[in-house]
Amino acid sequence: MHDATVTVSGAAVTPFNRRRDGTGLRDWAASAFDAALAMSDLHRGDIDALYVASESDFFHLQLNPASVLATELGLAGVSATRCEGGGASGQLAVHAALRAVQSGAARHVAVVGVDPSASSLPGDDIRTLYGFSFDAWTDGMTGLTSTALYALSYQAFTESHTVSDSDLATVTIQNRSNACHNPGAHLGRTDSAEDIANSPVIAHPYRRLHCSPLSDGAAALILSDTSHLPTTRKSAPRVVGAGAATDHMHLGARAKPGLFSAKTRAMQRACAEADVTPSAVNYAEIYDAYAGAQLQGIAALGLSGDVIRDLRAGRFAPNGACPINLSGGLMGQGAPVGATGVAQTATCALILEGRYHPDLQPQTLPQIALADTHGGICTTSAVTLLAQGARAA
Amino acid sequence: MISYPLSLNYSLAPGWLEPFVSGLETGAALARKCDACAAVSFPPLRVCPCGATDATWVTLPGTARIELRTYGSDGAFGLVRFDGADTRATVRLVDIAPDEETGRIMASDAQRPMLCLTTMTAKEVSHG
Repeated sequence: MHDATVTVSGAAVTPFNRRRDGTGLRDWAASAFDAALAMSDLHRGDIDALYVASESDFFHLQLNPASVLATELGLAGVSATRCEGGGASGQLAVHAALRAVQSGAARHVAVVGVDPSASSLPGDDIRTLYGFSFDAWTDGMTGLTSTALYALSYQAFTESHTVSDSDLATVTIQNRSNACHNPGAHLGRTDSAEDIANSPVIAHPYRRLHCSPLSDGAAALILSDTSHLPTTRKSAPRVVGAGAATDHMHLGARAKPGLFSAKTRAMQRACAEADVTPSAVNYAEIYDAYAGAQLQGIAALGLSGDVIRDLRAGRFAPNGACPINLSGGLMGQGAPVGATGVAQTATCALILEGRYHPDLQPQTLPQIALADTHGGICTTSAVTLLAQGARAA
Repeated sequence: MISYPLSLNYSLAPGWLEPFVSGLETGAALARKCDACAAVSFPPLRVCPCGATDATWVTLPGTARIELRTYGSDGAFGLVRFDGADTRATVRLVDIAPDEETGRIMASDAQRPMLCLTTMTAKEVSHG
């Protein structure tokens, strides 16, 4: 059985923001792909397959974006597949590409995540569509919003974790502060706890500043069979584990609606493949659609036995033992949905390789990095573990 | 910029969920009771957590206890447990005061199956 080691030979993220420059998703996808390809030291003709992540046709009025982008990227003729799993779409595309290389079906695979979540439709229309990210015929028809569902789940989480408003503020301030050093971030801000407390209530306890923005943008990866890479890229970071899982689609049908159980299962599967435990992770990009979701995620992933204690002790701060969301996360860097999971994985790879934005790059390179993405109210979870190339060699 | 207005009018067939959807239109809580383990799900589950697929539609009293609630510019919503159900449900809260802990299902005036909970009458509360 073919079982290739898989290297992230190329990784790139475009700026995430609300585009006002007349560019569109074809431009962003091409920009990200071209940069990732250049980093890989490969050529277009080396790419065997393309996986495209885009959450919804509603965003861009393109029902078959993978085939369109295959042509746009100069890859016409390759296998092209669109991956969709709500907010997890990008990470699921990474997984699909990973399995294609591991199986021997492809030597070099491009992953492109892209969505115009900010500029193509009015914000209220996008938020209405997001309401159908859950069970459309129950929660969706009821008009339940994403923020309201997350707020209910977070409240359930606080029944078993002693969390204060200042903890939500800490997450918010930290992610947006990190984003201030990311030149491609959508919302680098230096809000105070008072600013956050005074922002409008969207769905108690979530206020506007606890929420991630709607963004435009793209990200791209080139995943390669290590044995077929040029010497210059053979020691680049590897993908060493991937896991995905689902939870019940109805929050109310879950035994513990505050726990992201799908994330726990996905992490267990990724760790089993990588032969590591969660404690080995010393960098993570966590899916922080809302400030509290980051805390729920850390707990579910097993990155901490006491997430609130470790948050207050600075474990997840930029100089902590396990920095989280140096990119700014969804809250700071932004959230073009299909691009999100791809960008998280790209960020992990760039940080492992020491090629991230200089003001954010850890001086000591992490050994194991985690990209964590989910869709729905953590109804679909997908996580990916990356390691230094030398470690996996 | 390319401007492209688009209006869509879906006709979605509810399939096996038809009793549930029809119930919401009239303000009735139609749940599924598992023939194997008697667990009652609302909203209904096609496959019971015990693994069985055979179930019977039952009508719940329609009253519910509010376990968690959220409010703000997005509206008021709750995680509630309907009397007689073993699962919780997420609902829109309509005219329910912040200190009210219970409510009853109401028919939606929208042309879609909204799951709404509204305040109970004094008689309903006294019988609760």
